[in-house]
Amino acid sequence: MKHNKFLDNICLFLVFTFLFLPILVIILFSFNTSRLNIVFEGFTLDWYRELFNNTSLLIALKNTLIVAFVSTIVSTIIGTISAYGLKKYNFPFKRVVNELLYIPVVIPEIVLGISLLCIYTLLKLELGMFTLILAHISFSIPFVIINVRSVLENMDPNIEQAANDLGANKFKTFFYVVLPSLVPGIMSGAQLAFTLSLDDVVISYFTAGPGSNTLPLQVYSMIKTGVTPDVNALISIMLLIIFALLMISAIVNLRKLKYEVTR
Amino acid sequence: MKKIILVFLMLLILTGCTKKEEQKHVNILNWSSYIPDSVIRNFEKETNIKVNYGTYSSNEELLAKVSNAKEGTYDLIFPSDYMIEIMKNRDMLEKIDKTKLNNINNLNSSYLNLEYDSNNDYSLPFIAASTVISVNRDLVKDSITSYNDLLNPKYKNDIVLIDDQRIIIGMALLANGYDMNSTDEKELEVAKEWLLQLKDNIKAYDSDSPKNFLITKEVSIAVLWNAEGALASMENNSIENIFPNEGFALSIDNFAIPKGAKNKEELYIFIDYILRPDVMKEIISSYPYKNINKETDKILNDDYLNNKAANIPDEIYKQGSFVKNVGDSIRTFDKIWAEIK
Amino acid sequence: MKFDNKIFKFIFIVPVIIYSVFLIALPLLYIFWISFLKNDSYGGIINVFTLQNYIDIFADVYIKIFLRSFLIALGTTFICILISYPFVLAVSHKNKKIQQILMTLVMVPFLTNSLIRMYGFTVLLRKYGVINQILLNTSLINEPLELMYNTFGIMIGMVYTLLPFMILPLYSSVLTIEKPILEAANDLGASKWQTFKKIILPQTLPGLFNGSLMVFTPALGYFFIVDILGGGKIMILGNLIKNQFLTARNWPFGAAISVFLILITSILIWGYKKIGGKMDDLGGM
Repeated sequence: MKHNKFLDNICLFLVFTFLFLPILVIILFSFNTSRLNIVFEGFTLDWYRELFNNTSLLIALKNTLIVAFVSTIVSTIIGTISAYGLKKYNFPFKRVVNELLYIPVVIPEIVLGISLLCIYTLLKLELGMFTLILAHISFSIPFVIINVRSVLENMDPNIEQAANDLGANKFKTFFYVVLPSLVPGIMSGAQLAFTLSLDDVVISYFTAGPGSNTLPLQVYSMIKTGVTPDVNALISIMLLIIFALLMISAIVNLRKLKYEVTR
Repeated sequence: MKKIILVFLMLLILTGCTKKEEQKHVNILNWSSYIPDSVIRNFEKETNIKVNYGTYSSNEELLAKVSNAKEGTYDLIFPSDYMIEIMKNRDMLEKIDKTKLNNINNLNSSYLNLEYDSNNDYSLPFIAASTVISVNRDLVKDSITSYNDLLNPKYKNDIVLIDDQRIIIGMALLANGYDMNSTDEKELEVAKEWLLQLKDNIKAYDSDSPKNFLITKEVSIAVLWNAEGALASMENNSIENIFPNEGFALSIDNFAIPKGAKNKEELYIFIDYILRPDVMKEIISSYPYKNINKETDKILNDDYLNNKAANIPDEIYKQGSFVKNVGDSIRTFDKIWAEIK
Repeated sequence: MKFDNKIFKFIFIVPVIIYSVFLIALPLLYIFWISFLKNDSYGGIINVFTLQNYIDIFADVYIKIFLRSFLIALGTTFICILISYPFVLAVSHKNKKIQQILMTLVMVPFLTNSLIRMYGFTVLLRKYGVINQILLNTSLINEPLELMYNTFGIMIGMVYTLLPFMILPLYSSVLTIEKPILEAANDLGASKWQTFKKIILPQTLPGLFNGSLMVFTPALGYFFIVDILGGGKIMILGNLIKNQFLTARNWPFGAAISVFLILITSILIWGYKKIGGKMDDLGGM
């Protein structure tokens, strides 16, 4: 079938320009001599040096990463276990539990945020890193479950049976037979949990407390009082790392592909 | 993706290594743009007490944040006059032990023992502020002396206002010749109509840094807190600050200790630190509100002293009025606020 | 062996039960519960049953906010659809390798926080921001355009933030269309529009509804976009709820609006299931 390649490319170009424009602007202004992010006045690298003196910004970055990692690891473990448990076993109200799991996926984040805030207040939990991480775990788990489940659905039930027949107990079967075949689902679930945690603003806004300021919350208050270009510098560095890693993984994937083809 | 996670993990371990064990700390909740970061950092260096610093943009937000959180979450807050009264009535504050403060005598006595806390049992003044109209004279040539001048359709989409219902509805009441704290339904209705008339001229509401709107020429007129106006005029000398002839809002922001504060010792050290003349000077130089520290007065530089929006002359200051607790009428204010937005 | 089995089952089931009860069901039930309570003038909750909060929702002021939220969310969804269709079709015309790269690129902005990207937009859209500067310098305009602090700015922010949620499901459903069918349609002389209406649209309908759901509901609640790009003078449901909890101190009313929002979401989900959408697809990505 004939496609208008020119139109296709224009369309792709426009959408990607839209998607990357705000990011490019942030990077551009990280090299700006002016303190105000308004007009580009001249080139400097000062903000990258300044960045390492801005303790509150670095603390916010650290908190962001801690929250993202801890919540990703915990929700991936719980999510994987649960996906398997929900498939294998029947228990009272299983259907209800199954339906409940979709709630964090579909309801507006703000409702989840305030409902967690209310429960924290009710239980007299002190808002801080713990409540923030718990909140992130609770919106990530369903995504992990759904991703692991999609792999689980396609798994050959006979493999498990075979392991059982060969005398492996349930734990062994799970760890040596089931788990390895779930890896793609677990990885995509973990990746999603990690991305969602980094991207979240709304739920963090309600569940963070003193001492658990994350990067987005820090930037939120800075947008109001004036963002200094050292924030731009930080974001640019983060983007650079992300890009580098994506490139590396793309190259590795390509090599693997070639290797498999030539073999 | 695996690799991204791995590198981040390494970064995490690196940053984790620098962490010290159970450090002394103090949890402070303060207005945004009030104490410069450098003051906090110097305090941490000098005392080895870590400051966990959060911000809010209105007294109402402060009240909600403190009541939503578990008792003992915050150690030190900075409510304004009327909010001290409200929090006191709701039994949310602890008495201040003045014996723990060596620098307490630096405070200017004309800001002590005021109506909202007659013995200063629960509060000590931090700074005084007023609202002011700031105008970019490059863009606005007309004379502006009254809030009613802002209604001029020329200024379409050209005004930024403080995002604070008591202040803005108070402004509308003043513009119509009423008391800023009126709870009379009819007068409030007039105020609402006045604000609806103003609506087309409003570009944005912003409490945190409305001066940026002026400096970036996003708007040419702003109603904002005096320090913001003063900063704007220091940045760009064609920005003029005007105290409107109907009067304006005054506010005294205070140190206060929420009930259940856990880090008592540290919080007193912090208050005492702020009360030091040199520290207060640094704060006032960054955020030029009206200084109420006698000792700081002696060392402030001319830039501050000669700026009438920063160092408000006493005879002007007297024309302002304080926001007062309006009790249940706050519901009417809430409703008007929702309607004009 | 029997005992072993029990422990095994216990380990695999208990976490998910605890999670779904304590972190999903209870918080929502609690919201539901307080939406029927009264509040005192400075923010306390009084244990008195009332329907007042639900009656208050229908005050003129709030109806206006509701309508505005729906229009913004609907507009956002519509624009996302308009952008996503040509985009995913263009992507699907490329070879597999390039398709993969392009779809990864769509996700890259996501790895920086959405708030940070909104900040990028403020730099672009301000009165004397990058876009206006460029247009002024090239004399395309004489007066700076009003690009933010209005509904236009909010819409840009919303579309930007939510676009990937439309692109991803739409892309996976476009992949299910078999090439020979399209070729056959072409051979039989079907116009582009006919092909789209008769083949592509019906095939991608599940993805379309999936995407619409994932765009529409968050758009009702993203208060921070409205805050930053709307200049604090425009409110949507998200801001209204946030204000009830964080400034106006009226939890019961905020809870009632949240229940209302849950209700809307449920209706949409019901519709989605009705047309054959799978719940698991919503969280797959």
